[in-house]
Amino acid sequence: MKLHLVYFTVLTLNSKLFFFGSGPPKRPLMLTIVFFALSGLDVLDSLNVIDKPSLIEWVYSLQVIPTEDQSNLGRCGFRGSSHIGVPYSTSKGPGVSHPYDSGHVAMTYTGLACLVLLGDDLSRVNKEACLMGLKALQLEDGSFYAVPEGSENDMRFVYCAACICYMLDDWSGMDIKKAIDYIRGSMSYDNGIGQGAGLESHGGSTFCAVAALSLMGKLEEMFSQRELNRIRRWCMMRQQNGFQGRPNKPVDTCYSFWVGATLELLDVFQYTNFEKNRNYILSTQDRLVGGFAKWPDSHPDPLHAYFGICGLSLIGEANLRRVHPALNVSQRAFEYLQHLHRTWRGTCT
Amino acid sequence: MTECQALKKLHMYPQNCRMRGGARKGSKKSPKLIMKTRSVICFTVTDVYDYFRALLKNDEKSDRAFTLTAEAIELNAANYTVWHYRRVLLQALEKDLREEMRYITAIIEDQPKNYQVWHHRRMVVEWLNDPSEELEFIAEILSQDAKNYHAWQHRQWVLKEYKLWDSELEYVEQLLEEDVRNNSAWNQRHYVISHTTGYSDPSILNREVQYSLKQIKKAPHNESVWNYLKGILQDRGLSSHPGLLEQILELKETHCSPYLLGFLVDIYEDSLENTSGDQVEVLSKALELCELLAQERDTIRREYWSYVGRSLQTKYCSGDPSTTSSAPETDRGSASVSVHQETTCNS
Repeated sequence: MKLHLVYFTVLTLNSKLFFFGSGPPKRPLMLTIVFFALSGLDVLDSLNVIDKPSLIEWVYSLQVIPTEDQSNLGRCGFRGSSHIGVPYSTSKGPGVSHPYDSGHVAMTYTGLACLVLLGDDLSRVNKEACLMGLKALQLEDGSFYAVPEGSENDMRFVYCAACICYMLDDWSGMDIKKAIDYIRGSMSYDNGIGQGAGLESHGGSTFCAVAALSLMGKLEEMFSQRELNRIRRWCMMRQQNGFQGRPNKPVDTCYSFWVGATLELLDVFQYTNFEKNRNYILSTQDRLVGGFAKWPDSHPDPLHAYFGICGLSLIGEANLRRVHPALNVSQRAFEYLQHLHRTWRGTCT
Repeated sequence: MTECQALKKLHMYPQNCRMRGGARKGSKKSPKLIMKTRSVICFTVTDVYDYFRALLKNDEKSDRAFTLTAEAIELNAANYTVWHYRRVLLQALEKDLREEMRYITAIIEDQPKNYQVWHHRRMVVEWLNDPSEELEFIAEILSQDAKNYHAWQHRQWVLKEYKLWDSELEYVEQLLEEDVRNNSAWNQRHYVISHTTGYSDPSILNREVQYSLKQIKKAPHNESVWNYLKGILQDRGLSSHPGLLEQILELKETHCSPYLLGFLVDIYEDSLENTSGDQVEVLSKALELCELLAQERDTIRREYWSYVGRSLQTKYCSGDPSTTSSAPETDRGSASVSVHQETTCNS
């Protein structure tokens, strides 16, 4: 049964990847989707099927780098795809000026994560430029836009920002205090955390908030034990068989990760019902093509396929690598990142 | 086609021409062949984006560019660069924003769970400084999906920005009448009251408590109402509300639920935390409830309720109950302690 799952899921993820090959991909690809595929394969311990050097080049081709006159520093980071047609170049040499070329915070996050997953040393990442680009996105209230041109702002991008700073091992990219204020201000009367102040508490935003604080190393500092217990209770109540994202809403496979990982960060995931959770996730599997959907008998998609696997990993499912609950990559990739940090800090022997 | 080719082709059509295209999601290169020719000019999917890239690079501000953004949006309404370019054009070409409101209304009706379309609407409303259509429009979207997070988010922004609070509590009550389990509506109730009267006034607080109890009696198995009740009382101390415990204990007989029992545990815990003196009875009751929840009434969370019981025991059984002890230890892998054992407090 499990081998079946592994086989079909690898096939599904692989089929998304057949666009790759040597050289630049022929069809437009989207970085977040590539992240789901790569990290999913990593958790399945199957990254060996990937042509890593090619993919690394492609990811670097999405980096928005400073132009000759450095006038676009506040717009640096990674773009999501090649859709605006900036000429293909793998981040060697100055950037090409384009009136509408900017990074996107979720793409910078997933871009860096993909590079880490692929074993790249991030030496071609212009870290200062990425951090300048990130700083330009933070608002007065502590939350973040996705792009410098403006967009909606909410907890998702706070999490992306935290991941970026964490991976680059440099928190100068954000005002931590303001970000924490935003997180605290987003706690609802019912003790879950919404996308922003006043908004309904939600499993996704609760994960983003708790995981961001965890990456900052501030989780125990910013919430009292009483508050942590309250958040624990809100999250624990999300389990119906699988997990729901909000009270009185249907369960959905991806919340097995969003809520599960939050509970893991709060040290109480061990008290959930593993059996019922597992059975639900498996019931949303697609028997024909592999992958997972949000509900049984629904169409699978890369997001739910990835978070279905991560949800199973949290309960210790056999043949899956453990997932780091805050950074949302395999423990293996996380340890590689820590190794990189040690070399940067000059503490690696 | 290359950028050069695209620009050359574009030169065939003057900048101020209103192109009427017919690009559809299917194209020659994809399995779906749904190409319809609406007029002389017929775009394939590839054409639209090739033209778009050429115009974008030159930052062209023209009618043909504006029309093209609509084509690109129809193909992929999640492309934030296209939306941004459209906004630049709306301003540069001084387009009719009322017409844009009609446009974005239709797009949102079609794709109500897309982030970009709601952000675009917010920008247009801000430029017009006119929220007069918003509450009705959002209500229409919510009538199709009463929990659409984007819709609620936009609504909260409109209410706060333009101070349109007057009828909102009434609207919330209407929604709760339709579905008392609508968690978004309960959240909105808290939002409205917090931003208007607040909960400090005892008559308001009492009104809300009574309203909640009434809804509990109608539908006892409803996490949302219990969360609301706890939420409005917890910061003042659950155990300090006169008569609350008695009311809940009464409800326990006829309208019990896992949420009611959890609420009682929380009242008892608050009492343990904030009352000095002998609390053995209170602790015992709390532990009994944890056991009941674990074994019978909320078995999916059996391990959790056992953990809650153990934590209470650790915190309040050893030594002086009024000590601000450190957090209950998270015990990994230890066997759950059955409450039927003697809960001897070694003080």
